[in-house]
Amino acid sequence: MGFLAPWFLGGLAALGVPVFVHLLRKHISVPRPVSSLMFFEHGKQSSTRHRRLRYLLLFALRLALVLLVALAFANPFIRRASTHANGRLLLIVLDNSFSMRAGTRFSDAKQQALALLAARPHDERAQIAALGGEVELLTQPITDDAQLRAALASIEPGDGRGNFGELGRAVRALAETARAPIDLHLFSDMQHSAVPANFGDMVFPSQVKLMLHNVASGVAPPNWTVESVNAPAQIADPKDPKQSRVEAVVAGFNTPAASKNVSLVINGKVVATQRADVPADGRTKVTFSLLNVAYGFNRCEIRIDGGDSFPADDATVFSVRRSDPERVLFVHANLDTRSAVYFGAALEAAAQSSYVLQPVTAEQATDLDPSRFAFVVLSDALTLPSIFEHALNAYVARGGNVLIALGTSAAHRARVPIWSGETQEARDYARDSSSATIGQIDFSHPALIQDQPGRDNGGWSEVKVNYAAIVDPGSARVAARLADGTPIVLDKQIGEGHVLLLASGLDNLTNDLPLHPVFVAFVDRAARYLSGSERLSGSRLVDAYVQLRAGQESTAGSVEVIDPDGHRPLTLGEERTAQSLRLEKAGFYRIHFANGHDAVIGVNPDRRESDLAPMQEDTLKLWSGSSSSEGNSAAAAASNEGRQPVSLWWYVILLALLAAIAETVLASRHLGTLREEA
Amino acid sequence: MLQRYLDPAVLAGISSLDLLAKTVVDGFVAGLHRSPDFGFSQEFAEYRAYTPGDDLRHVDWNLYARTERCYIKRYRGETNSQLTILLDASNSMQYTSGPPTKMDYARFIAASLFYLGIHNQRDAAGLIVFDDEVRDYIRPSTRPGQLARLFAGLERAEPRARTNYARPLEHFRNFLHRRGIAIVISDFYEDPETIIHTIAPLRFHGHEVILFHILDPEEIRPDFKGPALLVDLETETRMEVIPEYVKTSYRAKVDAHIETLRDKARAAGLDYQLLITDRPLDAALREYLTMRQEGN
Repeated sequence: MGFLAPWFLGGLAALGVPVFVHLLRKHISVPRPVSSLMFFEHGKQSSTRHRRLRYLLLFALRLALVLLVALAFANPFIRRASTHANGRLLLIVLDNSFSMRAGTRFSDAKQQALALLAARPHDERAQIAALGGEVELLTQPITDDAQLRAALASIEPGDGRGNFGELGRAVRALAETARAPIDLHLFSDMQHSAVPANFGDMVFPSQVKLMLHNVASGVAPPNWTVESVNAPAQIADPKDPKQSRVEAVVAGFNTPAASKNVSLVINGKVVATQRADVPADGRTKVTFSLLNVAYGFNRCEIRIDGGDSFPADDATVFSVRRSDPERVLFVHANLDTRSAVYFGAALEAAAQSSYVLQPVTAEQATDLDPSRFAFVVLSDALTLPSIFEHALNAYVARGGNVLIALGTSAAHRARVPIWSGETQEARDYARDSSSATIGQIDFSHPALIQDQPGRDNGGWSEVKVNYAAIVDPGSARVAARLADGTPIVLDKQIGEGHVLLLASGLDNLTNDLPLHPVFVAFVDRAARYLSGSERLSGSRLVDAYVQLRAGQESTAGSVEVIDPDGHRPLTLGEERTAQSLRLEKAGFYRIHFANGHDAVIGVNPDRRESDLAPMQEDTLKLWSGSSSSEGNSAAAAASNEGRQPVSLWWYVILLALLAAIAETVLASRHLGTLREEA
Repeated sequence: MLQRYLDPAVLAGISSLDLLAKTVVDGFVAGLHRSPDFGFSQEFAEYRAYTPGDDLRHVDWNLYARTERCYIKRYRGETNSQLTILLDASNSMQYTSGPPTKMDYARFIAASLFYLGIHNQRDAAGLIVFDDEVRDYIRPSTRPGQLARLFAGLERAEPRARTNYARPLEHFRNFLHRRGIAIVISDFYEDPETIIHTIAPLRFHGHEVILFHILDPEEIRPDFKGPALLVDLETETRMEVIPEYVKTSYRAKVDAHIETLRDKARAAGLDYQLLITDRPLDAALREYLTMRQEGN
């Protein structure tokens, strides 16, 4: 028992009032005048005791009243056991990541979870969650057996990658809101690859007691898989070996050395098969050529022979779109002939590019329709014919993309076409007999993307910039800055399209970027980004997101998505409003974007799921032990939380009311007129 | 309707004794009492045969002429009685359990009797206010303004000191030689034997003596809820008493006191009337006057 407001117990000092009234003042009586004492006799008899007795009862009632009122203000409470079986929450987490498809892991885990659910006390609250690409809570904390069993039964094996770090984050958030001790039962294959880089991410809070149910105990079975495929998303000339090359990596996990048949399947037809010798626990690379791809989208697959316990990861899908080389409109100033050369050379050198550059001067662009080009480059062409500029604006609004390079013309003309902004000033670093270098680069930007940029800043640190226009970024994304903070590469979304702005030129005069190898990579990735070919084909991982439309305010049409099972994962309403789509299943997704483009995307599970090696025993003990030991240390707190405080305020007030009524009745009897008895 | 105004509690709110007396007396009767003696009034009473020694002035000569027998005419006494009220103004008279006090009730009674005597009967009326000595004396008179003087005397009569009947009655005997009615208004907290012994001599002087015994109802049936500390209003003596005694022995003693006083008063030829302060004034007066009429 305790008090929520114990400082109000100071009100108990008021108990002195009835004590004073009854004990200190009870012998004080007001003399009563009479005409004469002639007929009276002095008397002190036992009847006095009756008065004291009654007064003591009144005294006790008044003491009780004051005591109860003081207690009511102090708000007493007791801890009472929760109505739900000591208040603990049973959280059943069933791993439905891709690796659970191996053997009978998932069915075993499901059966064990159902058995645990059936064995629990009926009044114990339970909650069901699935651990796949993300932690999905399927129920609220409830006691309804049927609902819990239905939720558990509805979990199907997925294609996502399990991550115990995600589970840790989700359970920590749940523990924050549940405010009750949680018994977490995890039914999983305890895959080692699901352990996050930081072990602390998967540690649970103190009130969570972790019980592990490993359905894949023992040594991991041998498993071969197609670990990765490097294939062009778009191809123009299949006979060009540089464009049509497909590289597949076949890996074995916990496997002996073996020879595997690796096949290339295009549109359901095996077009090539090779024999690959895979070393024990090793990898080997297999190369194919996409010679027989048809125009349009081709659904391709690299497949290896079976023979392991996890056939689901024996194939990797990707799509290849074959089309004629796309044209790129390169608009440059009259005097600028160098930039087209540099840009065209870089575009041609790019391995997976299949573009034809069409350089024109600004005056020549008057009658050109931008929509006939994959994308448009404005190289130092700040003065455009109004008709072409208008067409270019409409082109961008509908989803077209433009690369703008600001050359020396920016010094004479502040307004940048399409960009809807102006240059603030042009900074000539060469005049100061020094050149600027590129300081910060956002390597997550599609035009600059690099997985592991080196110490040379991904090759950009060597680039010297002599001349750059300063542009107010506004709402644009700054992808790269000079060492002095000047934005050098900016990306702004206008309508459905993007405008990539290079605040310097492409002519080897304002900077020496065209002379560096990174220029080819930049042009290649920028071309793929601006042409949109990356979005329309190729492959993704399960749980990746695809952007369906540009912005909330987009007035473009609805999107259409067909998942690998042939279903539409989006409702009609979502098709009109959804910004992005999470690719939940492995296979081919067919997508019709809001800007009218169609895409076929191959989606593959994360290959880390193919490594079926379980966590080491030490790690498991550390994981479960950490939560249980912390749970033991916080046992008192947990038990206290199991016993919920129940306020006694209403009872105290009720008793005080009864005491007040009894006191009133008794006091009125003392004050009232005695009935004549004689 | 009128009865409501005669309630003692209501009358206690009337500050003017004149108005109070008029209200009480005019409300029920005018001149109920008669003089018990024969006198010179015009009201014929009876004939009586002449006997030697009778005053020849009272012989009815007309009757003698017709019958040749001497008869004496007798008449009822006229309103030439003398009314004197002896008002006890000791401290015990200020006791009350609710308005009015015994003193106020005594004032009301006295005022009503004065009004009745002077205004309706044209009697001479006087007042003696006493406690353990005579505090105020207004000689009986029929002069104009006598009623106002009497009322003023009543107003001045505030309770104080103790009661002693001997001194005021001695005073009364010394100053009043003419026979009349003497009314003693008191709560008579004294031994009945002593009271009668002190008052009875008035009767021997030819006075008609009436005792108005005024008591508060609480004095007859006191209501004690518990032990109480009592203070005597006259002596200021304190005494703690218990309710059981008050409910039993005290009541018996008071009843015995009243009964003894009544018996001894009647034995001594004194009229006795118990007046409880919660009784309507007119009822008390009516009862008394009716009793007197019947007595005649």
